[in-house]
Amino acid sequence: MRKPKQRKVRESRGERIGHFFVSLFLILFCFTTTYPFWHVLMYSISDSNAAMSGGLFFLPRKPSFLAYEMIFKTQQIFVAYGNTILRTAVGTLIAITLSILTAFPLSRRRLRGRGGFSMAFFFTMLFTGGMIPTYLIVQSYGLIDKFWALVLPSAMSAYNMFILRNYFKSVPDSLEESAHMDGANSFTVLFRIFVPISKPAIAAVAMFYGVAYWNEYMDGILYINKPQLEILQVYLRKLIASTGTLNSLSGIQNLSAAANLTEESMKMATIAASIIPILVVYPLLQRYYTRGITLGAVKE
Amino acid sequence: MTRRLGRDLSRDKLLYLMLIPGLVYVLLFKYAPMYGVTIAFRNYNIFKGFADAPFVGLANFAKLFSRSAFTRALGNNILISILKLVCGFPFPIILSLMINELRGRKSRKLAQTLVILPNFVSWIVINGILFAMFNTTGGAIPGLLRSLGYTGAISNIMNQKETFQWVIIVSHVWKGAGMGTIVYLAAIVGIDQQLYEAAAIDGAGRLRQMWHITLSSLRPTIVILLIFRVGEMMYAGFDQIFAISNYLVISKADIIDTYAYTLGMEQQKFAEAAAAGLFQSVIGLVLVLATNAIAKKLDPDSGIM
Repeated sequence: MRKPKQRKVRESRGERIGHFFVSLFLILFCFTTTYPFWHVLMYSISDSNAAMSGGLFFLPRKPSFLAYEMIFKTQQIFVAYGNTILRTAVGTLIAITLSILTAFPLSRRRLRGRGGFSMAFFFTMLFTGGMIPTYLIVQSYGLIDKFWALVLPSAMSAYNMFILRNYFKSVPDSLEESAHMDGANSFTVLFRIFVPISKPAIAAVAMFYGVAYWNEYMDGILYINKPQLEILQVYLRKLIASTGTLNSLSGIQNLSAAANLTEESMKMATIAASIIPILVVYPLLQRYYTRGITLGAVKE
Repeated sequence: MTRRLGRDLSRDKLLYLMLIPGLVYVLLFKYAPMYGVTIAFRNYNIFKGFADAPFVGLANFAKLFSRSAFTRALGNNILISILKLVCGFPFPIILSLMINELRGRKSRKLAQTLVILPNFVSWIVINGILFAMFNTTGGAIPGLLRSLGYTGAISNIMNQKETFQWVIIVSHVWKGAGMGTIVYLAAIVGIDQQLYEAAAIDGAGRLRQMWHITLSSLRPTIVILLIFRVGEMMYAGFDQIFAISNYLVISKADIIDTYAYTLGMEQQKFAEAAAAGLFQSVIGLVLVLATNAIAKKLDPDSGIM
């Protein structure tokens, strides 16, 4: 980025006006990307009746945690949360392992057939069987209503694997050669030298996978019918779409509390509950995403 | 010669071993569905299974194209993806140029951090957020309009046929903007500062520097992203539309994927649904290869392959 000092000198009046409008536009745009999240949080901790008139919420109106008390009374939100956490953890672990194992051989120039193998992976980025054939295949493997249906169909993206491969390629060959000289085999070279040295790229790619597993919902809709395996996104989708949420959530007995609680408040609280984990790790996410994408931009 | 091949293979046997899990994986979960797509040419029946289904040529495609709901979905698909490309592709470039014009590292960093926030949540969450903004009972915008003294009728733009395609386009551009800026800003950081200094000495103003240096340095990045983007043209955004649309707006929001979902998962017409998907994938592949070839012709160093 340019140093601000040098620029000030040559600025004309037109440029100052331009700069003003650029700043104004960016402030407004950033407002639209952040305010809605804040709105949901503030609405969810406002008293239902006070919040009903809508409008902008810079602060909660008559703070109340009733909506949260109510949504956490249901078992299903914990089930859905648990499933999402579990599939994100297991999925990321499997995906990153598969990607590392594949990326390393493909990064070695001496490997015979490297081009062909690379092409086999690259082609999956250009062409897919589509949703229905994939569904039928997953079904034929007996994965419908199984936990693994939430993990395996998206366990490794060629794009992420190529980011790692490009990173491994940039490691000097001499490191590998001297390790081989000391009698190390390829697994040792990979896990003792390449993996530790490539931590930033691996962290970035793991982040890509983690966010994808956390946010993906179509697998939860296509492959899962059992409530015990419902994931958070699917639960949230049902809740937002439903009118009559209060009735649909079992276990709410306290009618006087329910009378002071609108559907909107409960929906906001559930949305908030599902985005809080993302907001907590956000600074980390943003940093690693930037790094990963910058690495990915390196061309073959 | 063969001895050398044998020696190389045995030297690298562990590397080949490492490749096996990945290869098995793509075979089972990527290539098997590609083979499975041949049901698009078969008279598939869930009870008889896959292998016994007789080939019927293009009959499924003919049936599919004779359905008015499919042609409607195809029309929506083309319109939505063109609008998304036209509005959504340049926006992150413009946004990056704007962020780069901000004075001070801190404010640039802050802007970059804030614009990317919607990118990290799912379309389901965005649907909830759109609901929070626009629902007419307690939504932010209707409430704001009323508190500003507006007394007319306010309708929920999420339920209006007339506005829904714009909801799709604008929310797409808004959600994706931050991700695009990461790529472009990373490329901008890499531009040689001396170019700017030299241009300034020659009397080039901010705008001309932006045009001749920043934008032209971004060109290779823009071309690569454009190729991928054009290749995705047939995909008008299933995740998004499935999450945010509802039956009131289906005539404007139904695209090929959502229609294939309805055909396959709700009506059990798997073969026709697979035909819809294949139609999409093939055109997508042709588009990538064609744009790549054009890009290569214009500039031999660009392109993805």
